[in-house]
Amino acid sequence: MMRMNLLRLALKNIASRRTRSWLTILGVLVGVTAVVALLSIGTGVQEAVLQQFEDIGYDIILIAPMGAGGPGMGAQAGLGRAAGRFGGAMSAQPGASSESTGGTFSPENLMGGSDRNETSSTSPEDMAARMMERMASSSLDADLLLTQVPQLVEAGTLGTQIHAVDAGTKSGFLRVSTPSRDFIESFPSVLGGFEMAAGSGFTNTTENQVIVGGRSAELLELSVGDSITISDVPFTVVGILESRDTATSEEEADTEGGTLSGEGLAQNLGTTGSTDLVLSGLTNTDDSLFVLYERASEVLASRTMLSVTITRVEQGASISETVDAINVAIGQQEATGTPISIQEVADEIQGTLGLIETVLASIAAVALVVGGVGLMNTMYTAVLERTREIGILKSVGARDGQVMTLFLIDSGLMGLIGGILGLILGSVLSLFGTRLLGPSLGVGSFAPVIDAWLIGSVLALSFVLGALSGAWPAWRASRLNPVDALAAE
Amino acid sequence: MLALNDLHKMYRMGETEVRALRGVSLDVPPAQFTVIMGHSGSGKSTLMHLAGSLDVPTSGQVEYGGRDLTALSSRARADFRFSEVGFVFQKYNLVGNLSSAENVALPLLLRAVPLKSAHAKARDALAMVGLENRATHRPSKLSGGEQQRVAIARALVNDPAMILADEPTGNLDTATGERILDLLRGLVVRDKIVLVVTHNPEIAQTADLLVRLRDGRIASETPREVA
Repeated sequence: MMRMNLLRLALKNIASRRTRSWLTILGVLVGVTAVVALLSIGTGVQEAVLQQFEDIGYDIILIAPMGAGGPGMGAQAGLGRAAGRFGGAMSAQPGASSESTGGTFSPENLMGGSDRNETSSTSPEDMAARMMERMASSSLDADLLLTQVPQLVEAGTLGTQIHAVDAGTKSGFLRVSTPSRDFIESFPSVLGGFEMAAGSGFTNTTENQVIVGGRSAELLELSVGDSITISDVPFTVVGILESRDTATSEEEADTEGGTLSGEGLAQNLGTTGSTDLVLSGLTNTDDSLFVLYERASEVLASRTMLSVTITRVEQGASISETVDAINVAIGQQEATGTPISIQEVADEIQGTLGLIETVLASIAAVALVVGGVGLMNTMYTAVLERTREIGILKSVGARDGQVMTLFLIDSGLMGLIGGILGLILGSVLSLFGTRLLGPSLGVGSFAPVIDAWLIGSVLALSFVLGALSGAWPAWRASRLNPVDALAAE
Repeated sequence: MLALNDLHKMYRMGETEVRALRGVSLDVPPAQFTVIMGHSGSGKSTLMHLAGSLDVPTSGQVEYGGRDLTALSSRARADFRFSEVGFVFQKYNLVGNLSSAENVALPLLLRAVPLKSAHAKARDALAMVGLENRATHRPSKLSGGEQQRVAIARALVNDPAMILADEPTGNLDTATGERILDLLRGLVVRDKIVLVVTHNPEIAQTADLLVRLRDGRIASETPREVA
């Protein structure tokens, strides 16, 4: 009851010093707005990025062909550190043959370096094909791997080839993925869910059926039932995939007239390494065509291909031990490849994003401290101004503690009001911020995270900040001698 | 009975040491209109502050109800001021951003009295000083006399045992001052200790007990019948 009465008195006081109170509150508001906007956007980015991994599944370990990683990892924000680590891991890879792979070659080396002594008239198509060849130099046997590593419950290989695709009016070199039926059943998440926007999907392995990614279908102006040729072999479109709405790389966005040039594709593959393929290329089914492996192996000329082995770890098994076991198995098979666990990549990225968020929050905290100092200044001035009032309060029986409480509530309330308004403004700003940032961060659209924890801690923090800023002035006020205070003008 | 025993009070004012009281002993009886007179600097305000436990003496005791108030903690003195003392000051000392009623209710609000009953008591106190129709006015909207009446209402709201007034008519014209004094004198009937500090000889004429202070000492102590 007494606290309520003090609260009422404090509110009256804030209201009676309207301009100064609002200016003080404004200082806190700016700080809180910065904290809320940066934290909610930061957490939103983190969740959006991690959602991509969650979609694939934390129990998935991908085995990328050698040479994965390397430069050009900036295609996705925040992945630089993870990529660097994988690059490093690859050079230390046991069983890696420097002859077969040229050590940790980078796709850029492929594009220029290793071919430097050859004729410079190499066509883009040839370059892409040669790159594929190098990357698939010695692929892994998934079934054998399953018997070698007991922690794995499923394993499959997803081959990717590059073919000349002719859709009548439009044509170009396109990525053709060749999953087996089992693979589609076992790892739909790796293929971004593999949901049809139109058509039935594969019905048998005896006919030449093709499923087209959302964006490819658009570019090639295809619909279900259309006939196309893939490397001169006729195929019928039996399905068009749901568009995944993932970020489009610039090369792809700039492609005009529906003709995807081999050069563009080679550049695309060259500048994004396969870790990126793992992170977005695989789940980004928009730009691929799909032919069942069972069919492709029969009718499509055996083109060199990039193959990624996908495995699922038994529930409860240690990811890192499984990765070690896979490394041993790869060595035993005399194959090449680097296991990449989704869990580990996600952890790495989460760490990086967490660091970025901490830095952003620290910057925001500075703004908050400035607001707090402003509040302290106001309260200190208020104590000087209200000295006489403090004397009056004491003369009618106010205890020292009550005078202090009154000032603490006063400053705490100003902090809290600033906090509430800052929370609202920060939330509005972050809504705009995520719209602007989403595309440039490559995570498509994402929402800021403004949860109960953020709201609760921001409000508590702003009240505590207010009270703390007011603590010293309040203490001074409470210690004033009533006679001296009453004598003040 | 309020008993002041050999009170000394020294304080520093810049470089100089001021000896405001130099051994004052005085018994202030209830139900009497006690007036302390003296020129400015005679120590009369200091005496009032000590009597009301608003300050502590450098030495000496202030006894009330068998207790030595000077030995109390700061918190206990605050509680004593709340329950036993009502101050009236020359400058009224009202809180500017509170209405008359809120100013009067202020002591009660500091002591967990529910808002409603605090305001009811405040209205009663305002009625006692004839200001019930000024309850919602801020001090700045009131005349000097009205402000002082609000201050008296505040001093009375908790029905304290002693009313201590420091130059209550100092800022008022003669007629208004007379009304304020009538109010204060009226309290004597209510069995309270009423102590008024002034340098106005006219107030002194109506005192039941007139104490003259000079240079921090009691110069004379005159009961009414003698005066």
